Amino acid sequence: MADQQETTAAHPDETPHVEAKAVMLLVLMAALVIGFLGYVMYARGVFEPTQELVLISDDSEGVQPGMDVTFAGFAIGRVRQVDLAPDGKARIRVDVPKKDARWLRDSSVFTLERGLVGDTHIKAFTGQLTDPPLPEGAIRTVLRGDTAAEIPRLVATARTLLENLEAITRSDSALANTLDNVKTATGRLSGKYGLLGGALGSDAEAQKLMLTLDRVNGLLAKADSRVFGKKGVMDETQAAVVQLHVVLNDASQTLKKVDAVLVEAQAVGKNARVATDDLGTLRMEVDASLQKVTRLVDEINRKWPFARKSELKLP
Amino acid sequence: MFLLGAVALVLACSPSTYTPAHRHATARQIYLGAWQVLPWFTALATLLSLAIIRIVLVTASSYGLSKFALEMVVRVLVLELIPLAAALFVALRAGMRFSVSSLDLLAADRSETARWRLRRELVAEVSGNAVAVLTLAMASSIIVLVLAYLNVYGLSPWGVGDYTRTVGRVFEPDVTIGFALKTVLFGFAVAVIPAAALVEIQRFGRRNLSTMQPGAVRLLFVLFVIEAASLAVKYI
Repeated sequence: MADQQETTAAHPDETPHVEAKAVMLLVLMAALVIGFLGYVMYARGVFEPTQELVLISDDSEGVQPGMDVTFAGFAIGRVRQVDLAPDGKARIRVDVPKKDARWLRDSSVFTLERGLVGDTHIKAFTGQLTDPPLPEGAIRTVLRGDTAAEIPRLVATARTLLENLEAITRSDSALANTLDNVKTATGRLSGKYGLLGGALGSDAEAQKLMLTLDRVNGLLAKADSRVFGKKGVMDETQAAVVQLHVVLNDASQTLKKVDAVLVEAQAVGKNARVATDDLGTLRMEVDASLQKVTRLVDEINRKWPFARKSELKLP
Repeated sequence: MFLLGAVALVLACSPSTYTPAHRHATARQIYLGAWQVLPWFTALATLLSLAIIRIVLVTASSYGLSKFALEMVVRVLVLELIPLAAALFVALRAGMRFSVSSLDLLAADRSETARWRLRRELVAEVSGNAVAVLTLAMASSIIVLVLAYLNVYGLSPWGVGDYTRTVGRVFEPDVTIGFALKTVLFGFAVAVIPAAALVEIQRFGRRNLSTMQPGAVRLLFVLFVIEAASLAVKYI
């Protein structure tokens, strides 16, 4: 009672129901704390029945307890513990809620991907959802896809590339020499004789060519006047052609006459053949006459006392 | 300071403390420290958190890192900023009340009755401030969690599973214990240090000649040390 009086005396402007409000506040605080802890425990999967999956990997770098295991982009498990097995390989223990375990089958494949930026990801792939379910405590080897592991090879390749680039860009390299030649050529191209100087190698050579061309040009002019000028070769040739035309006409007429002569000669030939045939007959008759004469002479010789050797020649 | 903290803790846990007068004094301090400021502090924390959440989400989205934004919001706001803001707010308000409270008057009175009343008021003040820090921090943290969800997923209920998983990933057991421990330590620091400074003034007969709250520098230093130690344990 004394305390109450003291309190009342100390706080004359006392708010009503202070104790009730304080109790309400304490209850609210307790409810918030318990609710928050309960939510966190639920979020951590404390109340969820799970099954264990053990993933074996050569390297568990980037894998931390609490990280998700995803299937088709959805988190279906959580890494509980990472430890080193006696055989020197990392054992990643994963808690998979029973309700999500149906996505994991006996034939499921697990990958551990680590990029240059961001977290490491453990992913599950199931090709055949009709396969037998993954058993409790299953042990699977995880396939690693490590971007960082590719870096040494990439660096080696890049180094080779840079060395080649350095060799190409060196002052005594083939490319530099080529560029020097190109520079010289372009310098000539921009000279007095332009492309001609570049093609012939120097302006002096180009000058010679130009001189030659001038001479050829003069020669062509003279040839033109001689060939196509007045009383030139072409005029005479044209006149010769006209004359040749006339000659050809004459020749044609002559040939026609020759043709007629040949026709007549052919007729003569025919007559000659007939005459030749007649000559054969005549010869036969002459032969017969001569044989008769011969026999007659022989007869006379036999009968003539001064027989002498005689010779009769045929025509 | 440590002696006063231990005494206040023992007295708060002793059944003999809960006489009607003590209970009433403690209830009054809880009412003054937490009940009166809860709506305003919650509104202020909501407003500031909303701004920070939007900034973090928009910035993370512009850099293509939106999947990390939610985790960052929860880590930065719920784990670090809200408990610290609650502690500083309660400390500031407790300091203003100290300057006009009966503690100050009782500290000047050296009679036995006054000393007993000082002890009772002191325990009530310490309990009230500790409860205030815990209540404000917890209420604001939960509101920030809800705000973060609404900002990321809107009113759709389909993000609850994903969000819960993210929260679960952030609140690992050691982080949760550290968060609770840090909040409790903030509460004790805010409750004990200013009161201890006042008692020292009363014991050694020195008057606080400056206009600064008694023990303010010490309190800020202790809050800084607790926060730094928490960050070091979590991230180093």
